[in-house]
Amino acid sequence: MVAVGDMLVGYATDGGVRKRGASGGLVTAVLAAALEKGLVENVVVMKHINEFEAVPIITDDVEVVLASTGSLHSVPVNLAKYAVGRKVAMPAKPCDAQAVIEQAKRGMIDLDNTYVVGLNCGGSMHPVTTKKMLVEMYDIDPEDVIGEEIEKGKLIFKTKDGNEKGIAIDELEEAGFGRRDSCRYCTIKIPVNADLACGNWGVIGDLAGSATFCQVMNDKGVRLLENAIEAGRIEVQPASEKAIAIREKVNTAMVNLGNTLEGKILTEIPDEARIQYYLDQMANCIDCGACKEVCPVCACGEDSKCTMFHSLVDDYSMSMYHLVRLLHLSDSCIACGQCSDVCPSDIPITILQSRFAIPAQRKREYTPGMNVDETPPFFEVILK
Amino acid sequence: MKEMIYQTVCPGCNMGCGLYIRENDEGTVAIDFMKSSPANLGKLCRFGMQLPHHYSKATSMVDGVESSIDDAIQAASTKLKGAKDVAMLSVGATTSEEHLAFTKVADALGTVVNTGMGTYAELPPECHATVGHGIPLEDVEQASKIALFIDPYTQYPLIVRRLLAAKRSGASIIAVGPKEIKLADETKHIGPDQYESELGLDSESLIIADVHPHSDPEHVKHLLNLALMTGARIMFMKPFVDSTGVHLLSRGTGQKGLQEIMDGINEGSIKTLVTLDSDPIELMPNGVEDILKKLDNLVVISSRNSPVTRLAQIVIGTEPLYAKAGSFMNVEGQMLKNSGSSSIGIDALSTLAQNLGGKAFDCQGLHTQVLENVVKEYTGPKYKKLSCEMMETAPEEGKGNLINVYNPFMWFDQPDDNDFVMVNMNTVKSLGLRKGGMIALTSNGGTLKIRYAVAEVPDGLMLTNKKLPITTGTCTVVTAEGC
Repeated sequence: MVAVGDMLVGYATDGGVRKRGASGGLVTAVLAAALEKGLVENVVVMKHINEFEAVPIITDDVEVVLASTGSLHSVPVNLAKYAVGRKVAMPAKPCDAQAVIEQAKRGMIDLDNTYVVGLNCGGSMHPVTTKKMLVEMYDIDPEDVIGEEIEKGKLIFKTKDGNEKGIAIDELEEAGFGRRDSCRYCTIKIPVNADLACGNWGVIGDLAGSATFCQVMNDKGVRLLENAIEAGRIEVQPASEKAIAIREKVNTAMVNLGNTLEGKILTEIPDEARIQYYLDQMANCIDCGACKEVCPVCACGEDSKCTMFHSLVDDYSMSMYHLVRLLHLSDSCIACGQCSDVCPSDIPITILQSRFAIPAQRKREYTPGMNVDETPPFFEVILK
Repeated sequence: MKEMIYQTVCPGCNMGCGLYIRENDEGTVAIDFMKSSPANLGKLCRFGMQLPHHYSKATSMVDGVESSIDDAIQAASTKLKGAKDVAMLSVGATTSEEHLAFTKVADALGTVVNTGMGTYAELPPECHATVGHGIPLEDVEQASKIALFIDPYTQYPLIVRRLLAAKRSGASIIAVGPKEIKLADETKHIGPDQYESELGLDSESLIIADVHPHSDPEHVKHLLNLALMTGARIMFMKPFVDSTGVHLLSRGTGQKGLQEIMDGINEGSIKTLVTLDSDPIELMPNGVEDILKKLDNLVVISSRNSPVTRLAQIVIGTEPLYAKAGSFMNVEGQMLKNSGSSSIGIDALSTLAQNLGGKAFDCQGLHTQVLENVVKEYTGPKYKKLSCEMMETAPEEGKGNLINVYNPFMWFDQPDDNDFVMVNMNTVKSLGLRKGGMIALTSNGGTLKIRYAVAEVPDGLMLTNKKLPITTGTCTVVTAEGC
């Protein structure tokens, strides 16, 4: 029997899945079992293109789930919108799970039909930057990479010739590589907002590298695990006190680092320089709308406040589109970094949003995407 | 619901922006971001974000009646057998493989494929490589000084981030043109005789311009001369997904310009026009429909419905661009491949070629030939240094006070909210324009009331990013009054 609050260590029973999937294949096996036993109709998985590219797909085929890729640090996609309108199970970084909950608050996702298998996340990297980093910092041809992992503060790449090389993330980030900016100051590293919170932190001893630590967060988490156990797809055992302590220690270190980096990245701007700062940052916007399209918490559709008050023919110094978005998202931005990723003018939109959102959210002691029952402070309409 | 996911390239220009197209089993198309794409890191411009509206399923037609593709091919074969005074047009809005297939149909007809880029014919062949190839996009970021002869925000938006990166590395950027360019340190409204003295370029500098079907060859010559005089490198942006590829595949075939083709039709020296994913009605100023109606035969091979498919006697409707098997070459010379595997278009062209007495071909064979013809001689992004002599030049064309700023929405006649003209504050005052009001423009093409935006443009000049019903060319003489 599995219960809410359980801390377990587990792995896939199928040898192939255990070997191929990240950390013992538990997440893959849980997702496959959810589909196989009818808990959900679809699963969102990442289809592997190469070591630096995977594309989210929605599948009803168990074999596709089993063949899907493990976690890739250089595929920074937010999966929440792929769950909209579906009875689905999905893997989720903490920011994916946050976005799922925010979509649920806006009536776009039915949490009763959405099973979220959370994955610990120390941060993700942009694929093109990662390839450049491999050449410049690791002296590795990106084509030779067959795997990567983060361990003890180092980013490690494994190559075809069986070798591996690790460099401290701090060193990489000082050189301008490493994690995306928003990941560096993120402080939600264990997805306690998901149904299951899984990861390799706290997997020790003989199981290190071949099992997953799994915390059961709610009743849906219980269902997911019991379903997978009944299907014979996973085996679990209680995590030891030592394992639990190690997991917490890693988390605390990561969160502390995030807090430190927040101060370095979101530097104070004097009051008198603030307007010019935003004008300068947004001066090169080409009005593509990609930041809205990709925003995983936005549920407005085409007809929205930010677009309604914006027109190319206007000659305002700063676009109404961005001003409305800065205000509109101040209680809901989860700083996932998607908007910065897709901005064709390289505007650091996530940082701009965070400058508005973090103080606003802290003042109201509210963190978006953590609890579906917590209404965003500025919500105008409560969906029943 | 099942979904097909294609890795493809945005057809909006020749930057080579990678993206995913998601197509569900109801035919609904959506875009997704391909962040590993080196040209754009998954980022897309306004046009790229609107791509689902661009794709529209092409319908095969014979004499205005919907038909099977096989019947359309047979009807086209009948029309084209023995046809004289044939012109063929492919501007590079499809794969290199389809373009090559089209050239084989042209061989069977005893003619050549025109890319519509008449400028090439006006330039010494020894400078074609420089004009045609461009430079690695990363090199833009390394330049110490950049002279911009384009509006990057409107025309080729994914170059903006490269220019900003260059600025962060210390580059100075001077824009030359009618509109203030925000990212430039300075915008100069100067003529060719002032380029050398005013721009202060040297061998560490980069000139960025563009070449398109309506480019004034004299303008291109002036810029090439500037590059020769100063030792600066020069890069020409281009408007279609495979502009670079079709240039390399079509060398020596004449490169008849769009206007030349239209003049030929008007004068009666061209009686039959065959187009491959190239719509003269979208690509030319207004009034082209009447010229096209003079043709005896208009055969359109197209992956999407567009204005010319409604005018053609025969439409051979092929698969959408993203679904095609094949490749493209972007402005820096990277070969980019579609993940699609469909060969409907190539198979149609093969049948057409055979019906006209040519040989059969297939997708794989054509791809091999593309590799041999293009990649063999062109092994990746590398600047081709100018090797021509200084050119004699004449004054540039373009007399008119309403200027079209060409951009993907304009090339493909896509709806956009660029339905206004840009004027400066002096014009606003002199015409007594009201905020939020309209301006009335009158040309030989008629009168139009349209909204206006205030921009930093020279006195008396008006810019538009949209093909307006009253424009008669790249530049149009208009009179303006408030309304």
